[in-house]
Amino acid sequence: MLRVSQEDIVRLDGVRKHYGETAALDGVSLRIGAGEAVAVMGPSGCGKSTLLNMIAGLDRPTGGTVVVAGEDLGRLDETGLALFRRRHIGMIFQFFNLIDDLPALDNVALPAQLTGVPARQARRRALELLDELGIAGRKDAYPAVLSGGERQRVAVARALMNRPALLLADEPTGALDSRFGEQVMDLLIDLNQIGQTLLIVTHDPQLATRCAGRLVELADGRVARESALERAE
Amino acid sequence: MNSWPNTGPGTGVGTRWGMGMGAVWRAARAAVLRRRLQTVVTGLVVLCGTTTIMLTLGLLDAATTPFDRAFDEQRGAHAVASFDIAKVSKEALAATARRPGVEAAAGPFEQVVVSFPRTTDIPEAEGPLKLVGRADPGGPVDRVHPLHGRWARAPGEIVLNLRDAGRPLRPGMLGSRLLAPGVPPLTVVGLAAGMSQSADAWVTPAQAAALRPSGVQMLYRFDSASTEQDVRAGLDSVTAELPGGALSVAQSHLELRRAFSASADAYLPFMTLFGVLGLLVAVLMVANVVSGAVVSGGRHIGVLKAVGFTPSQVVAVYLTMVSVPAAAGCVTGTLLGNVLAGPVLNTAFQGVESGSAGIGISPWVSVVCLAGMPLVVAAAALVPALRAHRLPAARALSAGGAGSAPLRGRGLGVQRLLGGSRLPRPVSLGLGQPFARPGRTAMTMAAVVLGVVTVTLTTGLTSTMIAFAEAEASPVPQVGVRAGRPVFQQTAPKLDDARIEALLRSLPGATHVTAKVFVDVHLSGHAQRSAVNFQRGDPSALASQVVEGRWPAGPGEVAAPPSFLVQRGLAVGDRITLELDGRRVPALIVGQIMSGDPRFLWSTWATLTALAPGTGADHYEVRLAAGADADAYAAAVRAAGPGLHPSIVRPDTRAAATVVGVASVFTTLLIVVASLGVFNTVLLNTRERRRDLGMLKSIGMTPRQVTIMMVTSMAALGVAGGLIGIPGGMAAHRLIVDNVGVVVFPESMKDIWDAPLLVLPALSGVLIAVLGALVPARSAARLTIAAVLHNE
Repeated sequence: MLRVSQEDIVRLDGVRKHYGETAALDGVSLRIGAGEAVAVMGPSGCGKSTLLNMIAGLDRPTGGTVVVAGEDLGRLDETGLALFRRRHIGMIFQFFNLIDDLPALDNVALPAQLTGVPARQARRRALELLDELGIAGRKDAYPAVLSGGERQRVAVARALMNRPALLLADEPTGALDSRFGEQVMDLLIDLNQIGQTLLIVTHDPQLATRCAGRLVELADGRVARESALERAE
Repeated sequence: MNSWPNTGPGTGVGTRWGMGMGAVWRAARAAVLRRRLQTVVTGLVVLCGTTTIMLTLGLLDAATTPFDRAFDEQRGAHAVASFDIAKVSKEALAATARRPGVEAAAGPFEQVVVSFPRTTDIPEAEGPLKLVGRADPGGPVDRVHPLHGRWARAPGEIVLNLRDAGRPLRPGMLGSRLLAPGVPPLTVVGLAAGMSQSADAWVTPAQAAALRPSGVQMLYRFDSASTEQDVRAGLDSVTAELPGGALSVAQSHLELRRAFSASADAYLPFMTLFGVLGLLVAVLMVANVVSGAVVSGGRHIGVLKAVGFTPSQVVAVYLTMVSVPAAAGCVTGTLLGNVLAGPVLNTAFQGVESGSAGIGISPWVSVVCLAGMPLVVAAAALVPALRAHRLPAARALSAGGAGSAPLRGRGLGVQRLLGGSRLPRPVSLGLGQPFARPGRTAMTMAAVVLGVVTVTLTTGLTSTMIAFAEAEASPVPQVGVRAGRPVFQQTAPKLDDARIEALLRSLPGATHVTAKVFVDVHLSGHAQRSAVNFQRGDPSALASQVVEGRWPAGPGEVAAPPSFLVQRGLAVGDRITLELDGRRVPALIVGQIMSGDPRFLWSTWATLTALAPGTGADHYEVRLAAGADADAYAAAVRAAGPGLHPSIVRPDTRAAATVVGVASVFTTLLIVVASLGVFNTVLLNTRERRRDLGMLKSIGMTPRQVTIMMVTSMAALGVAGGLIGIPGGMAAHRLIVDNVGVVVFPESMKDIWDAPLLVLPALSGVLIAVLGALVPARSAARLTIAAVLHNE
């Protein structure tokens, strides 16, 4: 197993997840250091999404420990997990998962507002993020009228709203055509370069090699191989 | 070669209605099993709706149909006319049968009013009875229905009119001898029931002639008699060629019909309102369930269409899905309605002189409920189900899966406004939710409004009935003292009437003493039995219950309860004639009291002196000073004389308890149903917004915040429903208290609304919303995020 020198943001030890007789994860141990960009790849059903869910606190392991940003997730109840996600995790999904009823700005502001940040302040920060991601001009647009790339940028902005320690991306370019996919990849690279820790689950080798510095390959719920990646330009 | 018959839904052959029904049934059955909770809720709501509407229709039917049926079977008299024997001959009266407009006539029959003292335990043979001489019970008009024994064949025999054929025959009734001063003993040989109420009893014509008849009776059926004007026109035709003043009095069949239904009519506004409310809630609920199933089952619809279901078959799937529990609820509701009809009708027709009309619910009511409710349910389901008909398969498949969001563009401005507000974000998100689905919101709101209307109505009715019970109860201790009567094996008092009154006044604590006597009288021109409570001394406590006019003060003045007036078509200011033992005393109705028995009038002692001089009081109402010991007073009365029977008057709260009890049951049912409507809406919203909920949880929304958001979305409707429902409930309350019929509430009992009283109705909307929303909201809070967000 590769060890990283930086402080670990994610530490998984012997994590198992069983659905009945089926083992989705079977003794996975993994470390992710602060500022790292790690890609997780593997065939369908190998346990990639389950691994992501464990790290995000969206699901609970059958065995083993999951420590993220210093929090042992196994010790947290549902509310504790929600507060953990709010403070430490940003998530990007393949299908964006934006709220259709809210304009881009309010979608982005939402995580901050859930923590009790006043609307005006939250919107100001959301606008800054949209501006940094180059879509401030679309702040009042509803998800329905945004392009795929724009939607994913809004989703990224929302994920960054509470300055998370860890950004989790589940097939972030999976629903985008190549042009918008390129835009999102560039965005992730930029974010990592300014110190954002990234964990990307993907089928796309190009995304992995462009955005990640390390590749974790899963097979049958186990870490089959870990390797350092040379980022492609 | 494939030998299977090729008739599946995708073959085109199966598009024929009947041939695809197997597939439709299987798909609908699967939908029922998938939505067990909504299926149960639909069944329960339809059950409640069917039961309430069944009881309402049953009461509506029982108020008229049994009377009309029995009246027609007996060829009842449209008019029972009494003629002055001194002014017109029997031949001239017989000739009136051939007057224009007369369809059939019977008579002339001699009649006489005889007063029978209370010497037996046969109520039908007490007081002044109108005896009519008839040779047989048949004839072209008023075919009296024999119940027990036989018709009178010889002088000395009498047949009593049993005013309620359902009353059991008491041992000893047949064969008992009736004694009255100046009249030979009459033996009861039969009991009969006549819907025309043309007599209290029948004797042979020879016997009637021997009793010195006061008049003769003619029974008429007219070609047209559906209105009072028709009956009057018929009588005008009959009397056109008779000497002036020959017609003493005439009684219309419409008055009897009114008397029959008066008691039931009193319950009808109340029952109708609750029946309609129940039906509306059931319709809303079914529409909501189907609408939700269509909206959340978009992908399912797409799959059905993709495998070959025609649009009509898809609609049939959704109609069948809701029809299964609706049919079960409807059948059970009809059965329950029939079971409950017995006690409800017993209450509604208590004391009604039903004659031979059997009080019950006609079979058509059950048929209408069994056939009508499913139709209503199907109609309610059809509108939302037609959306499934129109939805293109491709769009359904692409956009419709679980977690599909509401159509875009609705309520966006509101969401945006709320997003910028200072409200906590879960609250503002919740407040915005109803705007995303205006149709569903309207239906849910309607259920909440109906619930609030019901709560407001019940709150109002309870207040009114409490005020009513308080008004009927004496504010000071009250003791009733009855003089013992040897005829009832009681010791007679040693003191005479005046001395008893003086004694009661002299005992410690007494402030007011009213001496009373009930006397059965005959009211000229009215078939119903009547009795007058004659009073002297201090005004009765009842005097404070006059709601129109004033309490009788002078001779010939009477006061009546609303039921007495309604049953006889009378009003304050009308003149009546009291008859007793050949004496006729004209009287003026000077006042109407709040409520009372439909047989009773109240009048002064002076009126009694004119009608039955020498009659003494047998009952004394004693009001004591505030704080006086009623038990001690009663003991003092007992000690003063063994023939005096005191009893402490306790407030009778049965009527209030019945109304409040029934209203509370209906209210609970409707609150449950309205809450189930909210429950269903939140359940649908949760299913529909699963993806949004998953996302919100993924960005850190806590379970508590999810619950707050979902409950807030409905609580807002609850607040709005409260504001809309309260005026509706107040209007419904007014409608009922203004139309009870047997009770005239004074304005002070109707205008009961003040701020504290409105607190409960105002909160009820929120209560309904929170009750309904809490369980599905908590289930939404427990939603597993991983499955929702990654299974796109």
